[in-house]
Amino acid sequence: MITQVPNPILEVHDLTVSYDQQPVLWNVDLSLPAGQLIGILGPNGAGKSTLIKSIMGLIPPTSGYIKIFNKALQEVRTRISYVPQRESVDWNFPASVLDVVVMGTYGKLGLFRRPGKKEVQIAQEALEQVGMTAFVTRQISELSGGQQQRVFIARALAQQADLYLMDEPFAGVDMATETAIFQLLQDMARTGKTVLVVHHDIHSAMNFFEWVIMLNLHLVASGPKDQVMTEELLRKTYGGKLNLLTQVTDLIRKQDFNPLKS
Amino acid sequence: MTFDSNAFLIIFTGALIAISCGFLGVFLLLRKMSMTGDAISHAVLPGIVIGFFVSGSQRSLEVILGAGLLGILSTLMIDALRKKAKVQLDASIGITFTLLFAIGIILINLFAYKVDLDQECVLYGEIAYLPIDLWITSSGLNLGPRITWLAGVNFFLILGFTYFLFKELSITSFDEQFSSAIGIPSKGINLALMSMVSYTTVSSFESVGAILVVALLVVPPSTAYLWTKSLIPLLRLTATLGILIAILGYYLAYWIDSSIAGMMVAVAGAFFFGSALIKGNWPLGLRGTSKSSPAFDS
Repeated sequence: MITQVPNPILEVHDLTVSYDQQPVLWNVDLSLPAGQLIGILGPNGAGKSTLIKSIMGLIPPTSGYIKIFNKALQEVRTRISYVPQRESVDWNFPASVLDVVVMGTYGKLGLFRRPGKKEVQIAQEALEQVGMTAFVTRQISELSGGQQQRVFIARALAQQADLYLMDEPFAGVDMATETAIFQLLQDMARTGKTVLVVHHDIHSAMNFFEWVIMLNLHLVASGPKDQVMTEELLRKTYGGKLNLLTQVTDLIRKQDFNPLKS
Repeated sequence: MTFDSNAFLIIFTGALIAISCGFLGVFLLLRKMSMTGDAISHAVLPGIVIGFFVSGSQRSLEVILGAGLLGILSTLMIDALRKKAKVQLDASIGITFTLLFAIGIILINLFAYKVDLDQECVLYGEIAYLPIDLWITSSGLNLGPRITWLAGVNFFLILGFTYFLFKELSITSFDEQFSSAIGIPSKGINLALMSMVSYTTVSSFESVGAILVVALLVVPPSTAYLWTKSLIPLLRLTATLGILIAILGYYLAYWIDSSIAGMMVAVAGAFFFGSALIKGNWPLGLRGTSKSSPAFDS
């Protein structure tokens, strides 16, 4: 169940990635439409982060290529934004919330140029969007996990890109914040931005994503949510082990009932 | 207590070196690479010997180039061992710098009959001889102590380096993946920082020696980090500490008639332990008066 689209914003062609000759992604071939909120689902170790990192050029592919806006990555870097996993950095780094968010503007600034008033303005707007205005001068070591995550999202917003790649932006974030951020991402998609999110929770995936990619070393599915969020494909993605999960999903679908919230 | 032009020159030069090392040390600390500074300061030895052998003088450009190249080589080697051979970072640092240092010692012994260079002169510098080591041009013009010039040039280079690349240095220290993703050449910045460390090591080894230069790279930034959690104040405090260390180090050494460089580092150590006592997370009975803050990598 892989839907290819004409004029894709992102085209991944026959991508294979391996660590130490051990393939972690096999023959992934997909194309994605512009202006949508897209989820990447899959079990642990399915290669979700690897896919995002190879799109960003952080991991060299063994074979295959990637085209973004129909161009090579190098030509369009400033139009792509990236949110790494929160644990990938040391939050004891001596910087304030504003310092980190201003870093989002560095890509467009170029070498040697320093951020000025305009960049600070952009950063402050980004912080407002994620509801972190009250924490502008706070040291990043004094933030909670969810707040750190929002700072990372604000930094990505400050990049003012057209394509956003987010690696598990909801890890350690409470339900209310998750919903608020999802609504922000939906608004972004509505204004023509494309947002690609590595995600874990099947239930919220069902509610918020318009397009879903399912990955388990191979590409299981890529297409509009309604077509790919089926029990068969979920089972194929997560394997027999997660029977329970698919049952829950089915239940949710049939009865519009959410055991996770009640 | 005396204060004459010689005292001033020694303190001034010591402060220049301490500040240069401190600025680089702050970024090494934030990258958790302080020990890489240690590795570089030892690994430059073969480069110094080869440069010396080629040019016949320890004041030549060849020595600086040789040391710089070896410094970069050692960073690349550490990185390659870690990423390709999957050796732990601390082990790959240990392997790399001891190997290169050993090669340096072998080279010194091989060439010993030709050049006036020995381990002592590289390992332990002597800043006290600075006022008599003058830079005199071929026309006979006396321009003052050579080592002060060396430290001055080094200082302005490091100052320019941290000023112009401040944004790049801080973002690559905080989040290397993100900076690569947005197109900041993080590998290039890293190599530039390592070359600066190599260069600083070489231009300081005559005055403070290759071992004590490590202390100046590590101790003042770590001390300052106990007091502040913002980057600019961290650099300022490190610089202030550098100046204090030079002044106190000189007078204490003068007072008990001992090594100035050794005393500078001892003073730096005293500042660090004092700060750690006040800011550290000690059991109640041992605690100082100020509020405790989280340790560096907890």
